[in-house]
Amino acid sequence: MASILSSFKYSDSLSVVGISICTAFLCEGISWILIYRTSSYKSLRSTIDKASKKLEIMKTVDNKGGSNKKSKTKKIDRVETSLKESSRDLSLAKIKSGAVVALVLFVVFGLLNSLFDGTAVAKLPFAPTGFVQKMSHRGLPGNDPTDCSMAFLYFLCSISIRTNLQKFLGFSPPRGAPGTGLFPMPDPKIN
Amino acid sequence: MREGKSVKFNIQQQQQSGHISQFKFAKLLDPEASWDKDQLGDVLHWIRQVVALVCGLLWGAVPFIGAIWIVVFLVLSSGIIYGYYSIILKIDEEDFGGHGALLQDGLFASLTLFLLVWILIYSLAHF
Repeated sequence: MASILSSFKYSDSLSVVGISICTAFLCEGISWILIYRTSSYKSLRSTIDKASKKLEIMKTVDNKGGSNKKSKTKKIDRVETSLKESSRDLSLAKIKSGAVVALVLFVVFGLLNSLFDGTAVAKLPFAPTGFVQKMSHRGLPGNDPTDCSMAFLYFLCSISIRTNLQKFLGFSPPRGAPGTGLFPMPDPKIN
Repeated sequence: MREGKSVKFNIQQQQQSGHISQFKFAKLLDPEASWDKDQLGDVLHWIRQVVALVCGLLWGAVPFIGAIWIVVFLVLSSGIIYGYYSIILKIDEEDFGGHGALLQDGLFASLTLFLLVWILIYSLAHF
């Protein structure tokens, strides 16, 4: 198995992916122990889900028109405020595990950096520009823009693997929570 | 007697899970089915990830080279998602936050997954 893997010129990329997968499971395990299994998280999550659904229904009814528009707008504002407060409380609850996860990611990044610094771990099928190239060519000798550094590959692994793992395990942030926009990062905080 | 009951219960559970998976699969193609915002968002997310995986494998294997193929992937995956919810499911996007909300589900994760798979297959298969 080892000889087959070493026959690939860029077999280091598989090591980076393998370590990223293990790190993703480790981080979710830590988050589960510190947050997801607690009753306070479960109740906050349930509150946010219910408030989001209630808000949707109220806005749909409001759009269709009807009497007492002022009182309905006030009710909508109340539910929105309550939703924002619950989302804020949820974010605060995640700070402790967020710090531990950030530390784990920092250590893993340092480990990968010491292993693969100055080595192109993959070849890019496109030539990146601007700030993307700064990350993809970080610490690499030469001027070939298609050489891929560990940092860029690790970044791609982190986002894709952790986001999908959280989704699969049901740990991704609730849709009603503010801040889940076009570029949702895996939750909690990453480096 | 107890073993007989537990075997019967297991068989019933298996039949139920078979029925449930059949039901879920049928709902994915049923324009009459009613959708919760979260359920639809999850389905669209996973469809995007599958498209990203397939495109990454294909782009890396051929190989397709050049940043233009990132744009091709984005247009293709968004087109598939749009076609799925508007033509197959016949969903009124206004009930789910508009086209933007539906098209953005899983977009960033699918883009990073696509890039990861494309880069890996290209690097391992052609060097």
